[in-house]
Amino acid sequence: MIGLSTVASTEGLIIGILCGLVPLLAGIYYRQWQAGIGGFIACVMSGFACGFLGGIPMILLTYAVLISKVYVNRQDPFTSLASLDEVNFEETQNELFMRRMANLGNTIRSGTSALIRNKAGFLGFLGIMFFVIVTVFGPLFIEYEGTARLDRRQPGARSLLAPPSYEHPLGLDWQGRDVLSHMVHGGQKLIVTSILAGLFATVIAVVVGSLAALLGGIVDQIFSAIANFILTVPTFRLLLVLATIVKFDSNLALALLFGVLNWPTLMRAIRAQVLSLRERDYVEVAFALDLGLWHVITREVLPNMISYIAVNFIFTIRVAMYSIVGLVFLGLVPLQEPDWGVMIFLGRQQGVLFNPTASGMLLSPIVAIALFQLSLVMFTRSLEEVFNPRLRSGL
Amino acid sequence: MTTTPLLELKNVYRTFEKDRQPIPVLQDVSLAIQPNEILCLVGESGCGKTTTGKIIAGLQTPSQGQMLVNGKPLSELSHHEQKDFRRAFQIVHQDPFASLNPAHTVEQILSFPLLRHGMVASRPMLRRRIWELLTQVDLTPPGDIVNKYPHQLSGGQRQRVVIARALTVQPKLIVADEAVSMVDVSIRIGILKMLHRLREQFGMAIVFITHDLAIAKYFAWQGRIAVMYLGRIVEIGRTPDVIANPQHPYTRALLAAVPEADPDITRRKRPMKLRSEDIPSLMSVPSGCAFHPRCPFFMEGVCDHDVPQLATLSDGAQSVACIPLAQDGKLTLYG
Amino acid sequence: MSIKRIPSNVVLSVRDLSVSYLARRGRVRAVSNVSFDLYAGETLAFIGESGSGKSTLNLALIRTLPKAAQIDSGSVVYTRLDGTKMDILQLGKNHMQRYLWAECSMVFQGALNSLNPVLRISDMVYETAQAHNMERKEAEKQAMELLEKVRLDARRVFRSYPHELSGGMRQRALLAISLLLRPRIVIMDEPTTAVDILTQRSILEVLKELRAEYNFSTIFISHDLAVAAEIADTIATMYAGEVVEMGPVEDVFYRPRHAYTFSLLDAAPRLSAGEEELHSIPGSPPDLINLPNGCKFHERCRFATDICSLKSPKLEILSTDEDTQQDHAVACYEHRRVLATRRKVLG
Repeated sequence: MIGLSTVASTEGLIIGILCGLVPLLAGIYYRQWQAGIGGFIACVMSGFACGFLGGIPMILLTYAVLISKVYVNRQDPFTSLASLDEVNFEETQNELFMRRMANLGNTIRSGTSALIRNKAGFLGFLGIMFFVIVTVFGPLFIEYEGTARLDRRQPGARSLLAPPSYEHPLGLDWQGRDVLSHMVHGGQKLIVTSILAGLFATVIAVVVGSLAALLGGIVDQIFSAIANFILTVPTFRLLLVLATIVKFDSNLALALLFGVLNWPTLMRAIRAQVLSLRERDYVEVAFALDLGLWHVITREVLPNMISYIAVNFIFTIRVAMYSIVGLVFLGLVPLQEPDWGVMIFLGRQQGVLFNPTASGMLLSPIVAIALFQLSLVMFTRSLEEVFNPRLRSGL
Repeated sequence: MTTTPLLELKNVYRTFEKDRQPIPVLQDVSLAIQPNEILCLVGESGCGKTTTGKIIAGLQTPSQGQMLVNGKPLSELSHHEQKDFRRAFQIVHQDPFASLNPAHTVEQILSFPLLRHGMVASRPMLRRRIWELLTQVDLTPPGDIVNKYPHQLSGGQRQRVVIARALTVQPKLIVADEAVSMVDVSIRIGILKMLHRLREQFGMAIVFITHDLAIAKYFAWQGRIAVMYLGRIVEIGRTPDVIANPQHPYTRALLAAVPEADPDITRRKRPMKLRSEDIPSLMSVPSGCAFHPRCPFFMEGVCDHDVPQLATLSDGAQSVACIPLAQDGKLTLYG
Repeated sequence: MSIKRIPSNVVLSVRDLSVSYLARRGRVRAVSNVSFDLYAGETLAFIGESGSGKSTLNLALIRTLPKAAQIDSGSVVYTRLDGTKMDILQLGKNHMQRYLWAECSMVFQGALNSLNPVLRISDMVYETAQAHNMERKEAEKQAMELLEKVRLDARRVFRSYPHELSGGMRQRALLAISLLLRPRIVIMDEPTTAVDILTQRSILEVLKELRAEYNFSTIFISHDLAVAAEIADTIATMYAGEVVEMGPVEDVFYRPRHAYTFSLLDAAPRLSAGEEELHSIPGSPPDLINLPNGCKFHERCRFATDICSLKSPKLEILSTDEDTQQDHAVACYEHRRVLATRRKVLG
């Protein structure tokens, strides 16, 4: 009922509809038809996708957006011109809840409008969403063809390969299997592992980089020395060597390894950023007011670096993806189908590089990876806008 | 009359290291600031006034010398007491945009210190205190300001927010480092008057750092002015005295060089002729009295040899660091 | 040296100049209907604060406005030594290049920002000379002379890069180079802001000497009333893109007629004045996109009456100085009250 087990089932749909009733009724109550119906649809879709795991958070988000639209009319002690004694600063729990909802809703709205504002960025976002949805939910609709399909052999043909046709839009692979099904099932692992790898690298880099820059002295020297040491190691070649010794069969391990090997580059960039932010007057004042190192890192420095970190995060995902595909292509990772990288590997191994009928099998994963990378790059254009505080309007 | 000074600097030196070269930013600076006093530090760039301000506010430590808070040396204070001292001395920077975090609203900016130091017991109390603070710095109605981001405020408004933030921790002393230099001329007086009012209301001392002598005179009329040159204090005394009767040659040169918003007066002013146009840098501070290469009253063998100490003249009201003046009681033009 | 204010001595004649640019929220009216005449040898100082439009006006006069800005209307007629006139705003690119530096040069604030860091002073001199068909040898000779006049070590400074000179030295060097081709007009935008007191003094002294020797006209833009009081012949006060008062320097300082000029003076401390009582101007500069109705200053003005919020006052000439033939013009309905209050303040 709760999690992914309800994906794309009628149970999920029912959960979604139930959740959707909340924003719908609220929309009717507050006379915000657009927000109400939009919220309903969003809840249905996320419930359908993830059951309660998707439905409940969506209720919160859509309700917040709704409230933010009507909150303008609320009375706020700060806006009244009454004298200090007359103003009542007490807030009931209800009012506090409403205010929090409205703030959340405003943030969501300004974030989405910033996202949409940059056309290239929005296109990239759609591209990413497309791939994520296809690789995560596609497998529910399209069956995976794992075994060889000798029955598909065309009379007189020398192999089971086939170019794109009406029945099989991406063609057949060397075992006569539908390439489309492989594409749909084979992307999830790669995308998830790349994102995880990027996440690990970024988190380590941010923690190490900020501490090094803010604490300075011996801490900075130690961290920088470690980073410089790792940087001198040629990562990819190290992975090659390791692959001969260790079996990379766990995606998590692979992501972790990538993270451990790739954080130094990002760390140096983060450290430079934090060093420059550290000199800002408002950071000096934060220390003068004795707000504490934790506060300075999390509330003063990081919020001004989020767009920088986010863009670098995306960049690291890209590098991770190429590294992982590279490893698979070279056959250094235990091959397990379905997998885009394996499709490229097999394509080369089976010698289909020079065979036009194999176009589906070979080009599909390559084009998919290239398009996904392109979407990531374009998406970074939006990230700058989304995180720019100057574009937030305030109340 | 001996009241314990709120803060005292005794023979403070501050040296920076640049490319293995020591740069003497402050040399032998001694100051005593009484509670509720107004003290102005004036001088040109490189004189060390900003560094002195940061040392007073606890943001930098002297390389040499002592700092006494309420009579007790800072090094002897317990860790807890040192933290209290930290909070009691606040700083207001020059650039109102750089001193406010662009990612926070005014409400957030003011909440952080209030919440961190437990100065409010509940959420409504927090909002009430923010309201009070904004009203005290003349940002009314507070509702217009509270949810805005710094980039939505004018320079003068931002600077008031900065001052409100400094007030959250109820400081005993505020260092205002060129606090109105980047604000429109017509707004400056309002902020300075507000600082006066806050000083009276809350009993704070204010150390005002500026290169604008006219503003210094206006702000510190009831207090003192200290003139600094290349890391030392060359003259210090009550503002009316220093402005009307400058003693040190450098102070005289400054006052004669400042133009005034009065055509007749300013066109009749004769600037003091200096011996050299070259401005010495901190990398090569002249020997003896640092001003001697430019001083028209330079006495060979004396001014380039001995370092003058601050001394009160017999008939004068302020302290001056000038050897010929201390010896002869007057200055004669040589050569 | 007295300035002869006769029509044939007009060097620059600006009429109804308006500049605006498009921002996200709307159209920003940076300069509105500015008109003035600049005579030979005159120093005209524009006083104003942020948002007054003085810097935009400056850029418009030499046509270096940013791309987003446009000149909505007006004419800027320059008269050469031989008497020929030309409208600067209509000049083509080639003519504009010949006009700049030869007829009109400029000195901007923050000299380091306006100087190419990889060019020595000598390189800049040679480049300028080449662009205006001046011989290298001649240019070098002129430059050395000028650098000496601004009290610099000509030999050393000529060969230096900008970063090798201190701020004050750079500013003086720029001033010297701006006179290379003996222009009739020199435009200066805040040349002494961000400069130390003694350095500012030497820049001002040097400026006065050069002015006496070469007799060029100056347009001086500043927010510093004291500096303007020192070197200007005529003061023009600007607020929200308009010239609100313009007149001889002594008249404007001692007998101001516009409420804004009055308030500026009332907020300026003077060293010679002992203990002073000063007042700030309440409120903030107006939003140049949504300008208030009527007089743009009325919301912050202590003399404002009903008519001030309805109709915008026009600039009218109140008096003309007999000796210098200078007009004192002001755009304020309450100019009599302003003058009376100022007289009371000055005692």
